[in-house]
Amino acid sequence: MANSLSNMLVMVELELRRLKHDRTEIYTRIVQPILWLVIYGPIMSSVRGIPTGGIPYTDYITPGILVQSTTFTSILYGLTMVWESESGILKKLLVAPVPRYATVIGRSMAGGVRATFQALIIFPVALIIGVKFVHNIAYVIAALPIVFFVSGGFAATSIIVASFMKTRERFMGIGSAITFPLFFASSALYPIQMMPPILREFALFNPMSYAVDVIRALIITGDLTSLPIDIAAITLFDTIMFVAASLSFKRIIK
Amino acid sequence: MTFAVDVRNLVKVYDNSRVLDGVDLQIDNGKVFALLGPNGAGKTTLMRILTTQIETTSGEAYIFGLNVAHKGSEVRRLISYVPQEMSVWTDISGYENLLIYSKIYGIASQERRDAIEKALQSMELGNVQNNLVKTYSGGMIRRLEIACAMLIRPKILFLDEPTIGLDPSARRIVWERLTSFKKEQGMTVFFNTHYMDEADHYSDEIAIINRGKIVKRGTASELKHSIGGELVELTLHDKTVKEDIMTAIRKLDFVSDVVADDGQLTIFARDAETALPQVIDIVKVHGGSIEKTSFTKPTLDDVFLSYAGTRLESEGRISDVTQVRKMIRRGG
Repeated sequence: MANSLSNMLVMVELELRRLKHDRTEIYTRIVQPILWLVIYGPIMSSVRGIPTGGIPYTDYITPGILVQSTTFTSILYGLTMVWESESGILKKLLVAPVPRYATVIGRSMAGGVRATFQALIIFPVALIIGVKFVHNIAYVIAALPIVFFVSGGFAATSIIVASFMKTRERFMGIGSAITFPLFFASSALYPIQMMPPILREFALFNPMSYAVDVIRALIITGDLTSLPIDIAAITLFDTIMFVAASLSFKRIIK
Repeated sequence: MTFAVDVRNLVKVYDNSRVLDGVDLQIDNGKVFALLGPNGAGKTTLMRILTTQIETTSGEAYIFGLNVAHKGSEVRRLISYVPQEMSVWTDISGYENLLIYSKIYGIASQERRDAIEKALQSMELGNVQNNLVKTYSGGMIRRLEIACAMLIRPKILFLDEPTIGLDPSARRIVWERLTSFKKEQGMTVFFNTHYMDEADHYSDEIAIINRGKIVKRGTASELKHSIGGELVELTLHDKTVKEDIMTAIRKLDFVSDVVADDGQLTIFARDAETALPQVIDIVKVHGGSIEKTSFTKPTLDDVFLSYAGTRLESEGRISDVTQVRKMIRRGG
């Protein structure tokens, strides 16, 4: 068990070392969330058609944009896995004296680390354009491990996808095909109550809804009443994805 | 004594084709073993089964008596493996790769520095250890991969086409380093190759695999002898060869036959290299004078040709692999 845990940490360390050498990806991926916050947010807020419970619209969507952007980063983490299966790295990891689930969860966590760095860049951008965060800094800091665990779950999802889509070309299309439906069927841009009934049902099973909800509670509203259920949902999502990714891992190198 | 590798009637079927078709193979501990065969013969599949990556269709495989199908995690503690494809991260330095792998292998932190230092030194990578791997040459990447495998002291080192796509000098360096590492550690080495010269020079034993079957095994010289004798040819200055020269040569116990034709002596010997100096002595003692000598040896390619019915050479494929490696290195 200690062995497995330290192996997971090694995978996270690997990711930090890669980020130390090259952060281009993190910087280029910031463009899209900035467009949402700087252009879409102010325009829609002038429409005033969406009931946000008294929160300025740009502030309302900031958690959603944050989660969407980090999810996208971690979903694309599967690309790394596709690359590593085309090269010999995954074969070598399979032959290492380490439980395979530890490697998989470790790699998912590594995807979470990358996504958390993405989040760290979005915060200052949001501050600059005038988003008002909760005054309690502890709440904002607490949002980071949540971003990390949600992204880890999505990175595990991407490992599962990578085990089916074994080429980069196939994988690329899947990234947005997964992220955008989840994004639009969550409370990222509008309250779930505004959705058509079918979509509302779907939002109930959408991990991104819970992620957006808990981040919004922590960094914008400060209202923590739904925190326990959000965290339970995210934990369930992570557990299912970690197990499924561990089971699918062997298929990647076939 | 337990065999390092023990394979019994192994069959692997992929999409209705029998990639491995009843392989039997026993390898003694401490040997350098080469599995020689053309592309698609089943070499990589066999190695991936032995390294617990894929399952067999039927038959058994054991590593030091441990069944690879049921005792995977125990087997993985005994082996080190360098896949044919590149297996290091290119966007971090060589040192960082070794550091990450040493942690994956669970080397205690106080021993880590020494192990990495030693691996870097013996693979002659000390001066580039802090450079990003994407700046390395193909040969350096290979040596880094072997350095990673050296971090632990494996009982068996599996190498899948260790020098594929490398230029001759890089190949030589890789093998020099591997040989001295093997000498130091005394482990069993199992490598796949389609380079005859590598099997010839660096292995204690060779098995030839073709279409999923082991068609012949033995030492390099046994294999060459098995397809018949070697030839020594002497051209003498005088056109007629004295009969007593012929008789004397025939008496040598490793010579099977001698033919003389117009001053040209052709000697069929089991071992041409041993025969040549003795034959020259005999000719000189009997007053003959030699104009020139030559001997031809069957190569492993001839051996392969005789057992597999096809030649090993495949230039196109090698350049393909070089390109794949380059592409992977660019990360593109």
